[in-house]
Amino acid sequence: MPLNYFIMLLILPLAFSPVIYLVGRAIGGKKKKNTGPNISRWLLLGVISWCLYTLIRLYPISLADEKVRATWGTVSFQFDGISLVLIASALILGLLSTWFSGRYLAGEVGEEKYYALFSILIGSILCLVCAADLFTLWLCFEMMAVSTYTLVAFHRQNAAALEAGVKYLVQSALGSVLVILGIALVFGERGSLSLETLKAIGTQTPGLLAAGGLILVGFGIKAAIVPLHTWLPDAHSQAPSGMSAMLSGVVIAAGLTAMLRALSALGVPPAVWGCAFLALGSINMLVGNLLALRQVEVKRMLAYSSISHIGYLLIGLGFALYQGVNYGAEGTFFHLITHAIMKGLAFLTAGAFLFVLLPHDGFHGSLKIKDLQGAANKYPLAALTFSIAILALGGLPPLAGFMSKWVIFTAGFITNDGWMIAAAIFMALNSVLSLAYYAPVVNRLYQKECSDLVKAGNKIPAGLSLPLVLLAVFTVMIGLYPAILQPIYQLAGKNLLALFF
Amino acid sequence: MPALLSLGTILLPWMGAVFIWILGDKRHKLVGPVAVVFSTLAALSALYLYPFATSDIVVNLSMGDAFGYLTFRPDGLAVLLTAIATVIGCLAVIFSLDYMRGEHQLPRYYSFILLFIGAMSGLVLTSSLLYLFFFWEITALSSYALISFNNDDPKAVRGGIKALIMTQVGGAGLLAGALAMNSAIGNFEIDRILANPAAIPAGLLAFAAFGFLVAAGAKSAQFPFQTWLPDAMEAPTPISALIHAATMVNAGVYLLARFYPAFAEVPGWKLAVVTVGVVTAFTAALMAITAGDIKRVLAYSTVSQLGYMVYAIGLGAVEAAQFHLLSHAIFKALLFLSAGAVIHSVGTRDILRMGGLGKKMPFIRLAFVIGAMALAGIPVLNGFWSKELILEAGKETGPEWGYFLMLAGAGLTALYTLRLTWMVFYGKPREDLQVHHAGKAMKVALIPLAVGSIFSWLLVTTVTRVSANTMPYHTMVETNIPSLVREVALSPGTWIALAVILLSIGIWMVSHRMRFFEKALSWASRPIKASFGMESINDAIIRVVESAGERLQLSQTGLLSWNLLYVLIALILACIYLAVGA
Repeated sequence: MPLNYFIMLLILPLAFSPVIYLVGRAIGGKKKKNTGPNISRWLLLGVISWCLYTLIRLYPISLADEKVRATWGTVSFQFDGISLVLIASALILGLLSTWFSGRYLAGEVGEEKYYALFSILIGSILCLVCAADLFTLWLCFEMMAVSTYTLVAFHRQNAAALEAGVKYLVQSALGSVLVILGIALVFGERGSLSLETLKAIGTQTPGLLAAGGLILVGFGIKAAIVPLHTWLPDAHSQAPSGMSAMLSGVVIAAGLTAMLRALSALGVPPAVWGCAFLALGSINMLVGNLLALRQVEVKRMLAYSSISHIGYLLIGLGFALYQGVNYGAEGTFFHLITHAIMKGLAFLTAGAFLFVLLPHDGFHGSLKIKDLQGAANKYPLAALTFSIAILALGGLPPLAGFMSKWVIFTAGFITNDGWMIAAAIFMALNSVLSLAYYAPVVNRLYQKECSDLVKAGNKIPAGLSLPLVLLAVFTVMIGLYPAILQPIYQLAGKNLLALFF
Repeated sequence: MPALLSLGTILLPWMGAVFIWILGDKRHKLVGPVAVVFSTLAALSALYLYPFATSDIVVNLSMGDAFGYLTFRPDGLAVLLTAIATVIGCLAVIFSLDYMRGEHQLPRYYSFILLFIGAMSGLVLTSSLLYLFFFWEITALSSYALISFNNDDPKAVRGGIKALIMTQVGGAGLLAGALAMNSAIGNFEIDRILANPAAIPAGLLAFAAFGFLVAAGAKSAQFPFQTWLPDAMEAPTPISALIHAATMVNAGVYLLARFYPAFAEVPGWKLAVVTVGVVTAFTAALMAITAGDIKRVLAYSTVSQLGYMVYAIGLGAVEAAQFHLLSHAIFKALLFLSAGAVIHSVGTRDILRMGGLGKKMPFIRLAFVIGAMALAGIPVLNGFWSKELILEAGKETGPEWGYFLMLAGAGLTALYTLRLTWMVFYGKPREDLQVHHAGKAMKVALIPLAVGSIFSWLLVTTVTRVSANTMPYHTMVETNIPSLVREVALSPGTWIALAVILLSIGIWMVSHRMRFFEKALSWASRPIKASFGMESINDAIIRVVESAGERLQLSQTGLLSWNLLYVLIALILACIYLAVGA
């Protein structure tokens, strides 16, 4: 029964997280250092795989556009196309990040806590994107936020990581406060928190408008909308690399999705949000790209690049909401998926380089771009996957980023509105600008002269290489034949437009 | 059969690229021969495609709703360009066997050359605007990767990134035009657009026309985008020959030629194209006269000759442009590869240090002289026929000022060509340079090009017949050899042009001995060398962007209080926006 699978999907990761922690603590604690991944990793992999299985069982049902609902009192969950996209991204990227972290964090202090918290993170994302009422939405959002605070500051002996975690915590908590104020306003105006009921009422009041502003800014902090983005460069660069991949790939997208779900219930005409998203998206792209130009650290550059990619998503949403263009919504979700894959690949490869080039004993320094000089001579596979990742992020064919950006561009031009077309051209120019900081990294990788760190580096273990190869293959496959993902992103686009119009 | 052959010209090189990547550095001795095999197969595929040229679509794959169909149509223009790309590609790969012997990371080099050849074939064969853009971008990627092949040289890296960014900015014009037309007619098929351009609203059509002109200008290094091509000369010379002379830079000319029937009626477009062509041809010729690096002279010469092709398209003489494209690809590749042989031998690119090399390298001198004569437009080499056709079209249908400047340009072409040839191969050696002899592979690559430079004009019958039969929207007329000879030899335009060329040759012969020439130009050479201010505009743009990044960096204070202040400001702005806007 689809409902059973759905409930399993929602409950499994959260229910298993204490088990993961306890087993890891009990059994893993007895092992000596650096003798391979903790058993808790295998447990987490099993949980995620089980969730993937339930997702596969739910997939045909959602394609037939039947919604699966689970309700307990006023708490309700619903599985639709948008949930499908985000859950698929979260589970697949989560699976690969967990596999990667096995070797990456082997033998570190508190390793089992990492996997337990990861499990909570994935579980809360699954619940968040399926939430069908505002209370559940906020609750899952908070759960996701709390788990990420500790995961960001995982290397707590490292002062920079701790600082990043604290700043992230304070800003995110401020966001949560604003969101709950907004939800309170909605409840006060309407008397109900169910998204369906709220949408059915559909008239706009000043109170709801104020709630909208609060929700936009509150969730916007998590979604890294400029000028609320200031926590992101620190957090994404200081987190362990498996976590950075998840953060940039899925968590900020989940924040964006939560915002969309909440905003759809307010009865405000979608064009208002569309216009706001177009303006915000343009600023995001430009700010993200300009700031990334001056970065000398690899992970920080990738973090700023995430800010600019959120800009692309916002522009796509802007086209979708301003005029109801279906390609806008489809393009946004397509780009969400490809960005998760490409950014995940970039961060995981950066993590692999970090692992072999920098000394680590629970303390990870920062990898600078100049440290990667000549890395291709010694690490051809990792250099290739990194080049694929960042050139794909720059939107070059035959890689995935080109195809997902193309759909968003198509949306802009179909509207035949001068401002929309200008926004699309601005997005294209920003894509070119991003190459100005992506391309030099590729050049540096392929130099003949190796940096000292590269000369002294160890071999990359096979365990770290496997996720890289898989993600690289996905990137190229989607770039050559984008129609593979079409049923998924088309469904999500349709559902998004149904939410608002 | 045509479907298989068309796909072959793209997939054979791409399979080769993947295969070479897999072979890797461990088997690097095999990499060159494998590349030759795959590029030869691609060339044979393209040449064998000629009898099957058709105006029908031969491949039609659905790629998804937003992406339309992947279609290929091997018509006259397409098969000509794919034949050029694959054959010259094959010769460049053969040349590289000797030129790049002993270099590091050769698999990367050969992989990207094959990726490029496949992408170039795809670009001209496809009939879908999306896939035209797709292959267009892949050629830009390969060009960047190959220019900056020697990553340890910062000039090469800078040149590569500059080429990438400038052609990408131009590519935005192609993107905008393609999507604008798609929004009007609902699909990306080029033949639908050519069949009925009136289906597209006039404003959108004009937008697309000028967008395409920008894209073509950037790709073909036309004014004001010409600054990337000279800097791209840091690439290994076979790459300069293949990509930056014979094929990729032709993509812009191809785009304009392909879409000419659709845009010809757009007010002001033809004049704009003619202006771009004339200005480019003339200014680039001036820049070629003052350059001191052998490859830079040839680079400016390429820009100038592309200007001639663009000019021809603007006049409506698409066939003449096509014909000159063929001639130019052959003789320019010949010139570049010969120059490469010289550079490989003596170890420098500076012509002020060369001189009298002809005695030490007679074979290369002969090859270069043949190419130079073709470039200068000396009868009966291929350059003469095609250039005269263009000048004739200019005299008959074009604006007067355009014709005079192009005629002067032809004279300048002869002048800088003669200067280059003389300073490298004749006269007294200015420096005692050690000469290493050209390898066998280099000679094997040069011979077909030299023969082609002398005889390729005889293909006019086949080329025009295939074009006339397979391109219904362009008014292509079949010409045969006798009528070509009659047309060119008997037209007064030809005599005028020949007179100008002889005059230029005379000026050089007289003045170079008296050093009068160099002195006369020295007052003009500074603005010419600075690309008439275009370089400083480039530098200014880079400076502005970088300083914007620096100043914006200050906003990331790292202080929590500032971050929270930004949140508060955002909240206030959001509330104001919602209060006013909703």
